[in-house]
Amino acid sequence: MATIALEKLVKRYGPTTIVQGIDLTVAEGEFVVLVGPSGCGKSTTLRMIAGLEDVSDGLIRIDGRVVNQVEPKGRNIAMVFQNYAIYPHVTVAENIGFGLYTSTLPKAEKQARIQEVARSLGLEALLDRRPAQLSGGQRQRVAIGRAMVRNPSAFLFDEPLSNLDAQLRGQMRIEIKRLHQKLGATSVFVTHDQVEAMTMADRIVVMREGRILQIGAPMELYERPIDVFTARFIGSPTMNLLPGALASRDGADGVALEDGGAFVRPPIALTGGGGGTNVLLGVRPHDLVLTGSPDAGAFTLSGTVAVVETLGTETLVHVDIGRRSVIGLAPGRAVPVPGQRVTLAADPAALHLFDAATERAFPRPLLQQP
Amino acid sequence: MREAPATAHGTEGKAGRLSDRLTLSTKRVLWAWLFLAVPVVFYGAIRFWPTAEAFWISFTDWNLLRPAQFVGLDNYRRLLADPLFWKVFANTFLYLILGTPVSLVLSFAIAYHLDRVRFLHGFLRALYFLPFLTTAVAMAWVWRYFFQPVPIGPINNLLASLGLPAQPFLRSTVQALPTILVPAVWAGMGFQIIIFLAGLRAIPTSYYEAARIDGLSERAILWRITLPLLKPTLVFLVVFASIGFLRIFDYVYNMNTNDPGGPLDSTKPLVIMIYQTAFKSYDIGYASAQTVVLFLILLVLSLLQLRLMRQPT
Repeated sequence: MATIALEKLVKRYGPTTIVQGIDLTVAEGEFVVLVGPSGCGKSTTLRMIAGLEDVSDGLIRIDGRVVNQVEPKGRNIAMVFQNYAIYPHVTVAENIGFGLYTSTLPKAEKQARIQEVARSLGLEALLDRRPAQLSGGQRQRVAIGRAMVRNPSAFLFDEPLSNLDAQLRGQMRIEIKRLHQKLGATSVFVTHDQVEAMTMADRIVVMREGRILQIGAPMELYERPIDVFTARFIGSPTMNLLPGALASRDGADGVALEDGGAFVRPPIALTGGGGGTNVLLGVRPHDLVLTGSPDAGAFTLSGTVAVVETLGTETLVHVDIGRRSVIGLAPGRAVPVPGQRVTLAADPAALHLFDAATERAFPRPLLQQP
Repeated sequence: MREAPATAHGTEGKAGRLSDRLTLSTKRVLWAWLFLAVPVVFYGAIRFWPTAEAFWISFTDWNLLRPAQFVGLDNYRRLLADPLFWKVFANTFLYLILGTPVSLVLSFAIAYHLDRVRFLHGFLRALYFLPFLTTAVAMAWVWRYFFQPVPIGPINNLLASLGLPAQPFLRSTVQALPTILVPAVWAGMGFQIIIFLAGLRAIPTSYYEAARIDGLSERAILWRITLPLLKPTLVFLVVFASIGFLRIFDYVYNMNTNDPGGPLDSTKPLVIMIYQTAFKSYDIGYASAQTVVLFLILLVLSLLQLRLMRQPT
């Protein structure tokens, strides 16, 4: 297993800079997910690590060795592609065997390795089949098998699940995670799907426009997003953001919301007063619960129900407040009706606060666990 | 499905109209045949009927002057005993055996490299395609000029200026056939390159990237990935080129107009023999028998293609 270090990595295509000098260290055995909207440079970064793209500037180290000028095959990495890149004209066994192409092992040993990998992925019965006879999930496993067979020092995944249907994607997520736990291989996984990032990563790297916005464990990013982009990108449904301004009332600093004129005191040290600064108050839909009798001191919003999404395990309620719509959660099995006037309440400790101009978060203490 | 038209028509007309009595699927079939009838009739009249006629004429001694008389297999017996036929048969296959591999290897090599060229890619592609759009007769005459002896032919002039012996080219019984193949191969390459390029473009780049990560060399990638995945393209082009070379006519005819197929029948393909038998000797029955033989060769080749295409890639 290996460490991967990116130092001030830059990728330019002509006048456009796709990756703008990123620094990242992936520890041995770590599962790091690069996530961001399309065009954020995450795939390009991965392809530079693989050696499929030239590095314009900066360094890539694998196990301390600078590999900028090393051919892909010399980096001892394996890559799983979005379209699997398994060859339709050869069998599953031969496809997996391509991973051993440069190995000097005797033939019998290669066969044994292929068998072993096939067994660990549940592909034994399919070894003589052609890819056309396999399902999407099976093809994905063949692609992973081809990567595994060589015992690479790191695995690179380029959106490997986006061609699968939702159910299979969930399944493969777990399978890849389980595989990682078993092999303990250093892995870099690229996706645009925050659910994949949240469920699989040891650490998530949020990227946007060629830069890293934030790096952290999934819960860290969820609890303490450093800006509006990450706050909205991580977590589903997206965080509600309500515009307001910093203000003082009755000698206390707080936020006066634009809609409804409510005044709240988020658990954030609003030092320096900064009266009048425009801010965005963030609250996650799962923290904003529909209630008849809000606790004293709770942050509340009142409005009319616009749309109700019944998901079975939970019910999401879209509530119109002034000119804005927020999403909240209906507790238990209660299903409100559109048009109904309701009150949503959140623990002030669950609130986030962002500067509206810079979109950066005001520092926020960790949530106290009850 | 069957209920739908009944309700649809129930409001507008009485039961018993023809269109009401037909089921939806029958109506669809009728419409389909109505449209298909146009090409079917057309092809029947201008393709299949004359083909059938040719088969019939090949069993007669028709020579345009007296009415055709049935002569059984006489024409075929005569063909088998005709030394010219065997000479021509060998020539035809020589065109095929030399022309097909040479043109395909050349056009693949060009397409393979053109695929990697970004600079002036479209212009180069157009340049290669141009001969395919040009009239064969015009090209044949230009090439014929190239191959003339000193002091007319540029190729021999070049050889002379280099101090090399002049070559007879079209005047040699040995060199004439390969010389005629040069413009024929050149003219067909534009089409083959375009088809190869399309085939190459259809292979996902991730296949090559995965191969590079697995450490396959360029040569291994070509033999183990590119060529196997190009098999359908390759089969199509082999058959297409083969049929073309088996039916070669215009280059042979125009490169040597004073004696088409010469010198001494050394370049004469089957189609020229058929042409001369039919329209120089007016021996239509005999010419038809030759046509039938060519037809059977082409048929076998096409069936072979279908067999090859059906095999899993």
